[in-house]
Amino acid sequence: MENRLSTGKIIRNTLLAALIILALGISWNVTGVDFPRLIRDLPKGRNIVLAFLTPDLTTRETTTTTVSLAFPIPCGSAPEGEVLTSGPRLVPSVTCAEPKTKFTLEGFDLAPNSEIVIRWKLPDERIMTAIRVQSDEKGYFTANMEARPIAATANNISSRLEVDALTPVGGLKPSEAVQDVLAAMFVTIFMALLSTTLATIVAAPLSFLAASNITKRGPLGTLVYYFTRSIFNLLRSYDPLVMATVFGFWLSFGAFPGFLALSVVTVASLGKLFSEAVEGIDPGPLEALQATGANRLQMVIYGVVPQIVPDFISFIIYHWDINVRISTIIGFVGGGGIGYYLSERINGFEYSKAGTAIWAIVLVVMAMDFLSAEVRKRLS
Amino acid sequence: MLRIQHVSKTYPNGTQALKDVSFDVADGEFMVVIGLSGSGKSTLLRCINRLIDPSEGKIYWNDTDVTSANAAELRNIRRNIGMVFQQFNLVKRSSVLTNVLSGRLGYANPWLSLLGIWPQEEKDRALKALARVGIAEKAFSRADALSGGQQQRVGIARALMQEPKIILADEPVASLDPVLSHSILQYLEVLNKEGITVICSLHFLDLVHRYATRVVALKDGMKVFEGSAKEIDRAKFKEIYGEEAQEVRAASF
Ligand SMILES: Nc1ncnc2c1ncn2[C@@H]1O[C@H](COP(=O)(O)OP(=O)(O)OP(=O)(O)O)[C@@H](O)[C@H]1O
Ligand SMILES: [Mg+2]
Repeated sequence: MENRLSTGKIIRNTLLAALIILALGISWNVTGVDFPRLIRDLPKGRNIVLAFLTPDLTTRETTTTTVSLAFPIPCGSAPEGEVLTSGPRLVPSVTCAEPKTKFTLEGFDLAPNSEIVIRWKLPDERIMTAIRVQSDEKGYFTANMEARPIAATANNISSRLEVDALTPVGGLKPSEAVQDVLAAMFVTIFMALLSTTLATIVAAPLSFLAASNITKRGPLGTLVYYFTRSIFNLLRSYDPLVMATVFGFWLSFGAFPGFLALSVVTVASLGKLFSEAVEGIDPGPLEALQATGANRLQMVIYGVVPQIVPDFISFIIYHWDINVRISTIIGFVGGGGIGYYLSERINGFEYSKAGTAIWAIVLVVMAMDFLSAEVRKRLS
Repeated sequence: MLRIQHVSKTYPNGTQALKDVSFDVADGEFMVVIGLSGSGKSTLLRCINRLIDPSEGKIYWNDTDVTSANAAELRNIRRNIGMVFQQFNLVKRSSVLTNVLSGRLGYANPWLSLLGIWPQEEKDRALKALARVGIAEKAFSRADALSGGQQQRVGIARALMQEPKIILADEPVASLDPVLSHSILQYLEVLNKEGITVICSLHFLDLVHRYATRVVALKDGMKVFEGSAKEIDRAKFKEIYGEEAQEVRAASF
């Protein structure tokens, strides 16, 4: 008898193990796990990572001189640019190219000893920075280029090779990226603050309705209790990103729909936490207040509120912290703020600016984390 | 005069906590309710101010039928009945003063009280109540910064704010050591001498002998004794507390 039981157990456990291995195998396949690629594709990642590691923080007051040249890819797709013979000028080794061919670009009589920024100005006016080099004392530079497929002619308009020569004059100052990042970060932090505040205003009263010890009395109370609970659970099952996309389509993208999405999700989440805090209170003082002839509202204000305030504050700060992170991600789907800035810079190949944004996010998240932990420690 | 008539209580889970209990409490009595743990003492006291609704029976206070009072009437009845609890039941994070003031909620302007606004005369009344129980200097401490004995005195001050005709005390000294027990019960005794009816459940028989003007004993929800403390002889004691308790308790007799 005992033996047969344990045989059954062994079979069951073996089956279970086989199932788990099968599931893991499927997961491995669909994810396309390929660790060697991490090494193989290293050069591709390196430039981006390098740019992230050298964020755009300061600029020197510079004077910029720009020269440009139309450069059709492939040849014949649009008129070729005219290569000058004197004055500041760009001289490519070929005046047009098939996608992915390499060529050299020389520049003459530009500003001497200056930083040279070479970029593609795409037909749709977007800017794609290619490389940065340094001009010599005669204002000459040379650089190896590749006719990038992304710079191909579109609508009969060719991309242009554009070169800025940046001559420093005066001292260092925060770069434009830093200013933009600060402004965007400001939006994100305050969007998170505002949505947490709105969510608190909505969730705090609702949480009493969803607390069994307050509401679940009589048939009406029980109905209200389950109704509020279900609403919280329903809202909580929606992801903030999905919600932000929905609001984004409805209200067109920007910080406002992101804020709304965040608020809705936070109402549900805070409502649940709040109602659990209310349910966890000591019922003794309530009984004592009831015995004095206090009415229900007085019981809540004098007996419940003092018991829950520290918990509530700690949940609110915790959610502000979380919402700063979420609103960063929501920005990626068009929700405004630092996330939106970051996604735009990445789409525009401006990796140094993206690097500035990433560093700002890391710093702010760390600071919020620290602050919220500190405040909560003090409350308990 | 409080009249308890054929009161029974069956909890929703089927526990019958009180079975046909009847007795009267005259004004000015110090009535003590005794009985084993689970005999129904707390249930009985809570039926009197209807923190628990009795399943059957009637409770009259003077000419008022407590058992059929509606919500508004009930609040009016309750504010005349102070209550003191074994666990003190203070709002721990609130100040002592706020805890005492909350005893006045049944009288206060509902809206102002919700905003935490109290007229000066009520604050004075609260400070006076605290002075009566000897802890006026603790008014602005947080309630949980006080010792157990001090917290129970705050509990009494809170009850005093109601200017009660009756004080219900549910094992008011069970969480305190014996020395403190006497000091707390003495406060109740003084109030009783001033005309407040006290109905108090107690565990220790020596305390019962010292303070009770009359005793009601419950066993399994039934009244098994009513009379003066002196009338509780060995046989009665055995009946109330059962065989096993006898030897332990006999010493304290
Ligand atoms: N809310 C409740 N629901 C169900 N049963 C209850 C409830 N409260 C009390 N009881 C039961 O009713 C009976 C009487 O309880 P009660 O608390 O009145 O006794 P007590 O004499 O005050 O006991 P103690 O000395 O332990 O305080 C007990 O059997 C108890 O388990
Ligand atoms: Mg009890």
